[in-house]
Amino acid sequence: MKFPRFSAFVLCSLVFSAAYAAESPTDAAARKALQELVPQAKIDKIEPAPLPGFQQVIIGGQLVYVSDDGKYLLQGTLFDSQTKRDLTAARLAVDNKLKVDAVPLTKRIVFAPAGKPKYKVTVFTDLDCGYCRKLHSQIADYNKAGIEVDYLFFPRSGIGSPSYDKAVSVWCAKDRKAAFTAAKAGANPAPLKCENPVAEQFTLGTQVGVDGTPTIFAPDGTKLGGYLPPDQMLARLESLGKSTLPVN
Amino acid sequence: MRFPMFTLGVLLAANAFAATPEETVRQAMAGLAPNVKIDAVQESPVPGFYEAIAGGQFVYVSKDGRYVIDGSAYDVANKRDLTQSSRARVRKLALDKVGPDKRITFSPKMPMTSKHTVTVFTDVDCPFCRRFHEQIAQYNAKGITVNYLFYPLSIHPGADKKAEAVWCSKDRANAFTAAMAGQDPGKATCPNPVPELTQLAQSLGISGTPTILADDGTQIPMQIATSPDQLAAELDRLAAANAAKN
Repeated sequence: MKFPRFSAFVLCSLVFSAAYAAESPTDAAARKALQELVPQAKIDKIEPAPLPGFQQVIIGGQLVYVSDDGKYLLQGTLFDSQTKRDLTAARLAVDNKLKVDAVPLTKRIVFAPAGKPKYKVTVFTDLDCGYCRKLHSQIADYNKAGIEVDYLFFPRSGIGSPSYDKAVSVWCAKDRKAAFTAAKAGANPAPLKCENPVAEQFTLGTQVGVDGTPTIFAPDGTKLGGYLPPDQMLARLESLGKSTLPVN
Repeated sequence: MRFPMFTLGVLLAANAFAATPEETVRQAMAGLAPNVKIDAVQESPVPGFYEAIAGGQFVYVSKDGRYVIDGSAYDVANKRDLTQSSRARVRKLALDKVGPDKRITFSPKMPMTSKHTVTVFTDVDCPFCRRFHEQIAQYNAKGITVNYLFYPLSIHPGADKKAEAVWCSKDRANAFTAAMAGQDPGKATCPNPVPELTQLAQSLGISGTPTILADDGTQIPMQIATSPDQLAAELDRLAAANAAKN
């Protein structure tokens, strides 16, 4: 089968709005394949994959690969054996960075080193999670290592849960950082309510693939995963962008 | 710049030096995980890929050796998890090679005959393994033969010695049941298949206990296997599905 050349109509629509470009046959095949396998999936984006003959589909902060004919779906981590790069993580990092960077400073709880930070990580956190508390108990050490930690709330049990209410109370406290640190040490914050970004941050977390707490994002959007001691976090941040790959 | 057209000579030469699937996979993995052992390489149902088992895990390698996917493949139209099917097949072939001299078997007693066989990788010191064995009579009563293979996990120090002591007892089945009930099996030693079975489990990508495999190599989820009724129903269902396929 041959597809017609671009018609004047298609060209016009490209000129007027790139966002509404007509869906290509491979896009449609990928969309159909996903609807077959995961009917409830909300597709963020379909685009050609670095893997020849495949489209990559971004769904809820995850990537899957669908063959151009829509017959096969591959789910997992795609590596380039020549450059030794994790292409899946690299692609997700691009979108994650955009989304995480879009959170303004006024909606973060920031613990920064005294001088200019070498690295800034964004940590999705839950006041009631053990490793989140462990991480925060070492906040001075992260800062000493030159790492700024920006917290966003991700109450794991969801919006309206007791952990969510605590997060709102901390956000609404007069001294937000002190209330945060106290809650991390196990104190119950005085119940407060005010306009707050907790629900919005929880939703953001689900969009960038947060599947537990803490989830740490590097400055380039790479998901570093869960808790890392200060020296290991520094080592990971320093090794980012180098093409060595820890597999298995 | 233009590349010259392939001549017949070039094509022939390229063909003569074409890497075998094993070489292609080995080279692709060498850069990513230099120490990983490649257990098997075969054509994948996904066109353009080899399916390989490396360190017990399934990976998909593009035939040019450039790309590696550590994950699962699905057949969209048939809604089949191709990796799961392959894994089951590989496990079945491997289990078929394990002789009765390496297993501890609990069979249904007359008049009940065996309808199904499951293989259970087990560890004397694993709580869920013990819970499973508490119900051994019920599984047998449902017509299920249970073949145990020892797989003492390194997180349970000394479990390998206990497995050996059970194996070396005069009455292996009774010693097994006693050890599963928490009794100390003693310190007997003798030639035994525990290290070999441990290695087998690892090469099949089995990382925990109990791991319960049906006749066809399909792994049965623990939630199902803990109930003798549900396990029997699931084994019936699998057998019917396999019969329909053949």
